[in-house]
Amino acid sequence: MNHKTLKKTSYWLLSGPAVLVYALIIIFPVVVSFVLSFTQWSGFGMPQFVGLKNYIDIFKDSYFWWGIRNNILVVAISVLGQIPVGFVLAYILYRKMVKGGNFFEAMIFLPITISSVVVALLWRNIFGNAGIFTQIMRNITHDPRWILSITEVKELSIIPILVVILWMYTGMYMIIFLANMQKISPSVLEAAIIDGASEGQILLRIILPHMTNIIFTTAVLAISGSLKSFDLIFAMTQGGPARYTEVVAIYMYMNTFKYFKYGFGSAVSMFIVAISVGLIQILNGIFSYFERKFS
Amino acid sequence: MENNAAIKKNQGGDLLGWRIASYILIGVFTLTTIIPLVWLTYSSFKPHQEIILDPLGWPDAPTFHNYELAWKLGEFGILFGNSIFYSTVATVITVLLALMCGYAFAKFGFKITGFLYTFFLGGLLITVHSILVPLFVMESFVGIDDTRWGVLIPYVALGLPFQLFLATSYLKSIPDSLEEAALIDGTGYMGIFWRIVLPMSAPVMATMLIYCFLGNWNEFVLIMVLTSRQAVRSLPAGINAFAGTTARDYGVQFAALMYGTVPILIFYAAFSKQIKKGFAAGSLKE
Repeated sequence: MNHKTLKKTSYWLLSGPAVLVYALIIIFPVVVSFVLSFTQWSGFGMPQFVGLKNYIDIFKDSYFWWGIRNNILVVAISVLGQIPVGFVLAYILYRKMVKGGNFFEAMIFLPITISSVVVALLWRNIFGNAGIFTQIMRNITHDPRWILSITEVKELSIIPILVVILWMYTGMYMIIFLANMQKISPSVLEAAIIDGASEGQILLRIILPHMTNIIFTTAVLAISGSLKSFDLIFAMTQGGPARYTEVVAIYMYMNTFKYFKYGFGSAVSMFIVAISVGLIQILNGIFSYFERKFS
Repeated sequence: MENNAAIKKNQGGDLLGWRIASYILIGVFTLTTIIPLVWLTYSSFKPHQEIILDPLGWPDAPTFHNYELAWKLGEFGILFGNSIFYSTVATVITVLLALMCGYAFAKFGFKITGFLYTFFLGGLLITVHSILVPLFVMESFVGIDDTRWGVLIPYVALGLPFQLFLATSYLKSIPDSLEEAALIDGTGYMGIFWRIVLPMSAPVMATMLIYCFLGNWNEFVLIMVLTSRQAVRSLPAGINAFAGTTARDYGVQFAALMYGTVPILIFYAAFSKQIKKGFAAGSLKE
């Protein structure tokens, strides 16, 4: 065997297993799902081709739009809540504004490592009848029957979930920003301090401009992560009460595995991928527009 | 010397406002992590009645009864065994495949790599929901539905895109010289992988193993959909199902949640450095 063939064989021996597993378990099912999205199928017999009917039905379903509404709120709390707060927390740690920074860092990052099922059930109990939050509110209001009633209000029932999402993921963004801030050369910072730059100037003129790329990356992470969000909400409310807290991924799950509308469910999952890719493209466009404008 | 003095001054007095605001913000976030976990911990030693009557109070007579009952009713022995099995085996396979593939992608300079790499990275955008139905049908067809194989194989596949990204970007950064020397000595590519690339990957491998393990340990949707037998389920799916049946006994439910929390806290205490690296890796500028 000459060297060229050997190299080629080795390439495929090394990459082949990964490519094969990935193609068979991820790519092939995605393609099947795409095909199924044009059919009606309950899992038995042959899928019936129905053209674009599933996609049209999705748009006509008010539950779907409610899921989109909730998803937008999840994206909003991620992009407008987790990212800025995570950034500020990282800055506090980076500039050593507090003593015992390592301890604070460890505590704020901790929730992301706990299973979202456990996090969801823990917070369901915290907000529940015998929960610590409820009890504290009872002590404050002197009303022994106080309960968190917003969970029963359609428009507001998502709020406790948003709080938990903020609690769980802010630490992740903090760690991402902190790791990137620590990569900024210390001499840049020292020079600014010697020149007498105020803390506000350091933050806005030095650190923030170094972070624009990372803010963009985290926004992409936040959007794709938010559209996929399922575990936490599913374990916390199952989309209830009365489907008030459904997001699109739960809407897809319910239609597929509860009502056995496999074709319809596939169409919804294709839709999630499409919005995710679309939003990231838009963000990409905005980002490169600003990059061109300011450089 | 002068520089240091200036830095000291800046970090001192005139920052009081910043410092106070910092302590408040960071304190609020820290307390909202600590308080729920402390509350969960001491409440898990209280019987149901006591939790209902006095949700905030410390246990009058701490008891392990909840833990014993939860372990038996929730079959936590099985759940722990499965969680350890899936997380360990799937993680080792994923990391090994990713490093092999990453070596081929980073060092061979083949044209097709660009295409294949993009194809893997696209996987980061796909939601697991879009593969559930076909995967379920495929597994029934092959006869591995509701088995450990049926969980293990998809875990490997789902872990690959990010692990491959970590492996490839790391291997691109290590110098070619050692490898080239070995090639001249007549070592084959597979030999180079085992004897040179793998040992040199130790730093990134630690991050890969720990991050991948954590992901597998916490995975929920896939195992919930693809399995129905308790015998093959892991902790997240088991705890979720168990909580549904124990809604009327807070003590037992809290003990079950502690079974889900404590191992991860120990894991976190041991490997927080690598976990942080894994989370930060996706965004680091090279």
